[in-house]
Amino acid sequence: MARATLLTDDLVRRLIAVGQVDVVVGLPTMNNAETIAGALQAVHEGLSQHFARARSVVIAADGGSRDGTPDIIGALPSGARDRHGGLRTRHQIVAAYRGVPGRAGAIRLIFTAADLLQARAVAVFDPDTDPLTPASIGGLLKPAGPDSFDLVAPVRARHPLERLLVTQLIRPLVRAAYGRQLDEPLLTEFACSGRFAAHCLAEDVWDRSPMREGIELWLAATALSGSFKACQTCVETAAAAPSQRPRPGLQEVFTPLVGSLFAALDAHAGAWQRDTAPEPVPVIGVEVPPPADPPAGAPSGLGGSFAQDVRDLRPVLESILAPETFAAVAAIAEAAGAEGPSYPDEPWVATVYDFVAGYHAGAIDRAHIVKALMPLYVGRVASFVTGHAASPADEVARDLETLAQQFERSKPYLIERWYRAS
Amino acid sequence: MTQLIADAVSQAWTNFLESVVLYLPRVLATLSIVIAGWLIAALLRVFTRWTLRWLRFDALSERIGLAATLRGADLSPASVLAGSVVFWLVFLGFLLSGIDVLGLTALQGLVAGFGQFVPRLLVALAILAIGFVVANFAWRATLLAAVNARMSSPRLLSNAVRFLILILAVAMALEQIAVAQTVVLTAFAIAFGAVMIGLAIAFGIGGGAIARRFLERQFPERSDSDTDRVSHL
Amino acid sequence: MSGGIGSDPLWYKDAVIYQLHVKSFCDSNEDGVGDFRGLTSKLDYLEELGVDCLWLLPMYPSPFRDDGYDIADYYSIHPGYGTLDDFREFLTEAHARGLRVITEHVLNHTSDQHGWFKEARSSRDHPRRDWYVWSDTDDRYFGVRIIFLDTEQSNWAWDPVSKAYYWHRFFSHQPDLNYDNPAVREEIWNVMRFWLEMGVDGFRVDAVPYLIEREGTSCENLPETHEVLKFIRARLNSQFEAKVLLAEANQWPEDVCAYFGDGDEFHMAFHFPIMPRMFMALRLEDRKPLVEIVERTPAIPETCQWGIFLRNHDELTLEMVTDVERDYMYEEYARDPVARLNLGIRRRLAPLLEGDRRRIELMNGLLMSLPGSPIVYYGDEIGMGDNIYLGDRNGVRTPMQWSGGWNGGFSTADPERLAQPLISNPVYGYQAVNVASQQRSDHSLLNWMRRLIRVRKSTRVFSRGSISFLSPANHRVLAYTRSLDGETVLVVNNLSSTAQVAELDLRALEGAIPIEMFGRSLFPRIGELPYMLTLGPYDFYWFRLRWL
Repeated sequence: MARATLLTDDLVRRLIAVGQVDVVVGLPTMNNAETIAGALQAVHEGLSQHFARARSVVIAADGGSRDGTPDIIGALPSGARDRHGGLRTRHQIVAAYRGVPGRAGAIRLIFTAADLLQARAVAVFDPDTDPLTPASIGGLLKPAGPDSFDLVAPVRARHPLERLLVTQLIRPLVRAAYGRQLDEPLLTEFACSGRFAAHCLAEDVWDRSPMREGIELWLAATALSGSFKACQTCVETAAAAPSQRPRPGLQEVFTPLVGSLFAALDAHAGAWQRDTAPEPVPVIGVEVPPPADPPAGAPSGLGGSFAQDVRDLRPVLESILAPETFAAVAAIAEAAGAEGPSYPDEPWVATVYDFVAGYHAGAIDRAHIVKALMPLYVGRVASFVTGHAASPADEVARDLETLAQQFERSKPYLIERWYRAS
Repeated sequence: MTQLIADAVSQAWTNFLESVVLYLPRVLATLSIVIAGWLIAALLRVFTRWTLRWLRFDALSERIGLAATLRGADLSPASVLAGSVVFWLVFLGFLLSGIDVLGLTALQGLVAGFGQFVPRLLVALAILAIGFVVANFAWRATLLAAVNARMSSPRLLSNAVRFLILILAVAMALEQIAVAQTVVLTAFAIAFGAVMIGLAIAFGIGGGAIARRFLERQFPERSDSDTDRVSHL
Repeated sequence: MSGGIGSDPLWYKDAVIYQLHVKSFCDSNEDGVGDFRGLTSKLDYLEELGVDCLWLLPMYPSPFRDDGYDIADYYSIHPGYGTLDDFREFLTEAHARGLRVITEHVLNHTSDQHGWFKEARSSRDHPRRDWYVWSDTDDRYFGVRIIFLDTEQSNWAWDPVSKAYYWHRFFSHQPDLNYDNPAVREEIWNVMRFWLEMGVDGFRVDAVPYLIEREGTSCENLPETHEVLKFIRARLNSQFEAKVLLAEANQWPEDVCAYFGDGDEFHMAFHFPIMPRMFMALRLEDRKPLVEIVERTPAIPETCQWGIFLRNHDELTLEMVTDVERDYMYEEYARDPVARLNLGIRRRLAPLLEGDRRRIELMNGLLMSLPGSPIVYYGDEIGMGDNIYLGDRNGVRTPMQWSGGWNGGFSTADPERLAQPLISNPVYGYQAVNVASQQRSDHSLLNWMRRLIRVRKSTRVFSRGSISFLSPANHRVLAYTRSLDGETVLVVNNLSSTAQVAELDLRALEGAIPIEMFGRSLFPRIGELPYMLTLGPYDFYWFRLRWL
């Protein structure tokens, strides 16, 4: 029944009018009144420049905006009689999706529409994240298609000390498990082939937590685990004023993302536990060098509570971590000074893997398992950041690579723990 | 004269023996019921333990923290304990039915009382079990939330939450089996009320600063948090 | 035989015109070249087809280096086609069958074999010298575009006889006449009057924008050119009635409109830009290009009329489209570069549409229902093919295919003697595609075209009515209403190769019963709610709306 009410009658009628298309560009919107006009302009220009002959449609999937975003979109020139000067009519649709507001609902609507319209390529962009340029739209969309790549992820030039959750945990874990490295596994924007979208629609993740909250990680993991071809394309980070929206805090993002990743690992166990050699994911386009300036320095006291946290969580950690790992963590906690712990790669990797295995076993509530990892992650971040406070960017990058290799080397340990626990 | 006494005595003995003979079947019946009950109860105990092992009840009891508590109280593991409970309940039932057969009026009420008691006992046990699970879950959830939100003394907070929920569950169970109802009710009300008043006073007067800090932490401006001054995404 | 042509001065507004090449139509004297006697013998066929007017390609004496557009004598008939008497006979017979005749009049230039040019070049002092445009250097009128890009490098050609350059916008053997010279204007009018008095009903005037040259301009569409045309029209009005002047001006609609003047220049003009857009809309499966060009077309004077066409004797010109659009057309319709010529595509209608009967029907349906007088190119009514390997644009001017027999029924001469080879491949060759076999079948393209023309002529709404586009959300459906004096016709076309649904907002027509015009079936009455129609691939409907 849920499928039956996914598309409103009005949306169905508009999709009938659009008919078969080659390209679908989707924009999940939620209170984006400031940025949506610019984003749509960039999308139309990008389509006119790079897909002049393709049949295309732009779909804004709205989660219930209160600031008039749908009205703004409706007022923008497009539809059957637009004047953007292209060969073809380009349709532009605003559709509200039902259910919990969030990217999963929006992406599901976009994928469903793309499936119905037999699109060859689908792209999803965020109106807020890093301003869109026509070049980035072309760069992401062009390689996607049923005959070429099933997933195209962006590569944005960032300093190695940025995006610590990605660099310390998500990226090396994905790389070690699936054998393929995506620079940006959190797909806030991406392009995929129509058949990949159809495949993802068939999976039962759109209504279930935690996958729903971290749907982009799930999509990336699915692409890496199956017989899908993925690539990455270098996208310029356009110089523009940073978004006015407040950045989400760690608390808001850690549990959904890490939970989604663990759930993906759980579901794809058969795929990534095969003994396959690691494959690189091809990178298209000219690599832009990352900025040399590190982000604003980490505040002191970041890792100050690590020892206390480990003590407090002792009974929980004991039930998740292997005895050796727990001993190591306890030792780190004991030895932690005022500036925080020193949390080297090996125990960190062992910690992560124990948690992954523990999540799979489900000895205690899974949401609790993910939450229990957060203080350890904070400790690790403190250790890494203070340790690299004075290091140049390439040294940091090298150490990140070392970390990733440690993850890869310890993969047999993960598999062993996985089966011992279950 | 001697003949009279002998006759009376033999008559009495005959009567006595007659009544004994009349009563004997009942005794035998009782004994048989009791023995049969013991056998059935033993069977059921084995069956219960086997079923619970098959259902991985021990693993479950580990998860909800019951096993740890039992160990702490020097009791046998959960499935064994459950089997024993089943055994005693069934055996007691048969025992009381057997006694009932003897027809001793004084004990009649006991059987009826027992019949009414058992269901309530089961409900009380269920309440305790649920209370255990909830308490454990809440303990862990509170602990994790407090640690991640950088609140002070997370262990104290989480243990307090668990304690309170357990107390509540025990009180509810005791009320179910109607043991010292009024005493339990009153004691519980007093204890709970005292805790609540204490908290209120702490927040309102003495702990104003802590309360403010607590509230500020509950609704923080995200960017102020240390963890959020580094870039995670 | 109908009762002859009427005297309605605005007959051209309702006419269905048939363009034919005498040379390729029918040969009566076994010389391999079509002639007027042969043409006369086929007038019954044309009458049955249902057309009202015949437009003949140039029939004057000519060295035929531009298929007759290089004229060597304005007052005579090319000997290969017959004599003046043959022509008069043809005119009489045509008129008797209710068929009017318009011929070509090439104003802008003559052949270099024309007597006038021979005189003009003979010496700088000859009285006729000034009849052409001469220069001592070839840098006058610098920057003016070259029209025949594939053959010419310059608009000036060197005349070795009089040692000077002469101006030619077309081939170098077609020197431009000098319209700044009043004598030229008078003589040209004399030429026209000669033919008009004979009974010709009008002229299709070739290459009008280029008459006058001025330094520092594009030498196209100059005000002085319009002066010349007004002069000619004034003479025409003063001496004749019910004659038509049809302009060939390959320009944007707003520029072509200038050639209508205030009703004091041309009666009709070709609407060039609409034609490639019809093909584009079909291929894109999107009505956008077509709707845009029609809406961009300005209103024209009451007595004037557009001439619309799908194909003609020239290449399918892509001058009046953007570069993006031209690339698209080349890629979709002319993959083979041999088919491309002079910024156009030299193919016939049927091969362009890949012989798809449904597409051919849809395009003809559009031709007959869009505003303007439709012009049918000979052979397209039976779906003739082309030969892109013949030089220049001869590939679309091959002999008419009358039957599956000797020379396709065009001529009884030896096949080797034919001026143009017949199309003979198994798909479009004369054995497969010919009039005789199509006449035998009720469901042939020929009979369908007859019915189409008959239905179009059953009402004046198509020829004289206004047009108003509907915009259903489905861009693959092109829908519009034609209205005249309270009568309304609804036209719905499916431009797509797949079945489509269209929801039309017909609230303005609420209460009408649509009656499909070909089968006269009744359709449900139009109400308040959007009117839903389903169309098969390349389907179209014409509905007469009646309020009953």
